[in-house]
Amino acid sequence: MALEDVCSFKERPVQHKWFSFSSLGDAAIPFPTSDCYNLRYSRLETSENNCGVPLHFFIPPLPHSSSFINRPLSSFCPPKNSMTVQKPFRLAHGTTTLGFIFQGGVIAAADTRASAGGLVACPAVHKITPIHSHLVVTSSGSGADCMLWERILIREIRLYQLRHGHRLSIRATAKLLSSMLHPFKGTEMCVALTLCGWDKSGPKLIYVCSDGARLQGDVFSVGSGSPYAYGVLDRELRWSLSKGEAISLAREAVFRATHRDAYSGNNVDLFHITAQGWSQRKREDLKEEYYRDKEKKGKKKNDKLK
Amino acid sequence: LVSNLAEYLDESPIQFGQISTVQNCSAVSSEDPFLTSFSLPTCLPFASSQSVPLPFPMAHGTTTLAFMFQGGVMAAADTRSSCSGLVACPASQKILPIHSHLVGLTSGTSADCALWKRILARELRLYQLRHGRRLSTSGAAKLLSHMLHPFKGTELCVAATLCGWDGGETGPGSRGETTKNQMTELFYVCSDGTRLRGMLFSVGSGSPYAYSILDQGVHWGLTVDEAKSIAREAVYRATYRDAYSGNCVDMYHITSKGWTRRNREDLKEEYYREKERRKHEKTERRDVAFSD
Repeated sequence: MALEDVCSFKERPVQHKWFSFSSLGDAAIPFPTSDCYNLRYSRLETSENNCGVPLHFFIPPLPHSSSFINRPLSSFCPPKNSMTVQKPFRLAHGTTTLGFIFQGGVIAAADTRASAGGLVACPAVHKITPIHSHLVVTSSGSGADCMLWERILIREIRLYQLRHGHRLSIRATAKLLSSMLHPFKGTEMCVALTLCGWDKSGPKLIYVCSDGARLQGDVFSVGSGSPYAYGVLDRELRWSLSKGEAISLAREAVFRATHRDAYSGNNVDLFHITAQGWSQRKREDLKEEYYRDKEKKGKKKNDKLK
Repeated sequence: LVSNLAEYLDESPIQFGQISTVQNCSAVSSEDPFLTSFSLPTCLPFASSQSVPLPFPMAHGTTTLAFMFQGGVMAAADTRSSCSGLVACPASQKILPIHSHLVGLTSGTSADCALWKRILARELRLYQLRHGRRLSTSGAAKLLSHMLHPFKGTELCVAATLCGWDGGETGPGSRGETTKNQMTELFYVCSDGTRLRGMLFSVGSGSPYAYSILDQGVHWGLTVDEAKSIAREAVYRATYRDAYSGNCVDMYHITSKGWTRRNREDLKEEYYREKERRKHEKTERRDVAFSD
């Protein structure tokens, strides 16, 4: 097959040990040395099928070179010290996304509103994207940038898997993403992704940002609505939550954020990642939740008055 | 002396607000006429002139909150005064009683807030002396808003939440004891001209964190103890995440009998208790991992 030839893929079963916690003591699969990786690189560079060797991609174009215009991705911003291109409309980074780890895996939740200044550009956006069966990424920042980088990440992870026969760990994925974003530090690109997944070492939650931050943690919330979500999460998050409780906590946190933050709203998306992979909950309109909450408070008021 | 006093009592409060003393100016140009006279009701002198550099960067970090419920008004605030990265005072008072049935929560620049609280207290007392009755909370909010108006556009930054009980000198009277308390009032007044009446307000850099907790739990039918605990929890969560809020929490409860103050509570204890709990969880997690 053409793709296999390009990647020199050898017939090898993908190694997927779904480690239960008991076998943490076993040695982890060693990360392949860079030597064979580089060798493959030089072969790939000459291949004409290849239009996206990672390294080539990342050199930011010089502002006045002709290749700049021919680049397929003309959404690059020229470096800071050159003349900046006028933005077509005010970009705003309004969103609420969150992720946390508990005993039953990782929960990722986000709202679905894309705003551009004061306008709700789209009320039904997907802010959580699956990268592979055991990794989803929640995006925040500029919508266009995030969509692009998600696709790039999917591609890179898949290429790695085909070349090396096993899947990259989440920490390594985060590092790869971070180093891919690094050349754009200082430009107006704004990407804040939270990688939520499960790999050999268990559940993982890593925050990667175009400023260069790369943080691993147990709970993250990103976006304009994040303080509101943090308040709710900090209060009730426990390791020992059941799956149902965790899902309802995530929903509640997003709901509270959409209630107060103007740039978050519409629906809530929820993903649950376990050792078996990710599963998506049906998208839920928060309008219903708002009315239910209002009714509940009204009922409580009436109960007390009696 | 008596005639002076009478004149003073007849003076309208609005004119007082045109004082152009600058809160941060030390190098004053001598040709500036406004600083010498106190009674010039003219427009802002400083909006167009060259601005004086601030002595140090001001920051408005705080968490204050107040909500109305069946038992009155509950007000809570943290006690940290920050000045960009420095904690200038870990034990400042952000809830200032104005009179026995009115309490003001302050946010913004502490110097401005302390000054304007005193000005407001003075004006309310003068009103009471002139007219024989206490000004309602709504009136006090309006008064403060009008006094702050001349400073709109300057660097004055005052965001006050007024919580009060309007009883009037006549007792409950014909209104009787209604379970729905129409006499408590909660107003938010800001130096950019906002004046809002509401049931729940939280102001400051830590306010989003507090808002989500309050939205979850505040409803009219809370008991006093529930209200206290939710106010405390909301301030605690804000101090947990916000760098500019912290140290202790102050709580005031305003009812028909006036305001009562709860002892200042250091949130450090709460933080350590939570840390213990999380540590316990971590060991639990590790045990689960190795026992499987």
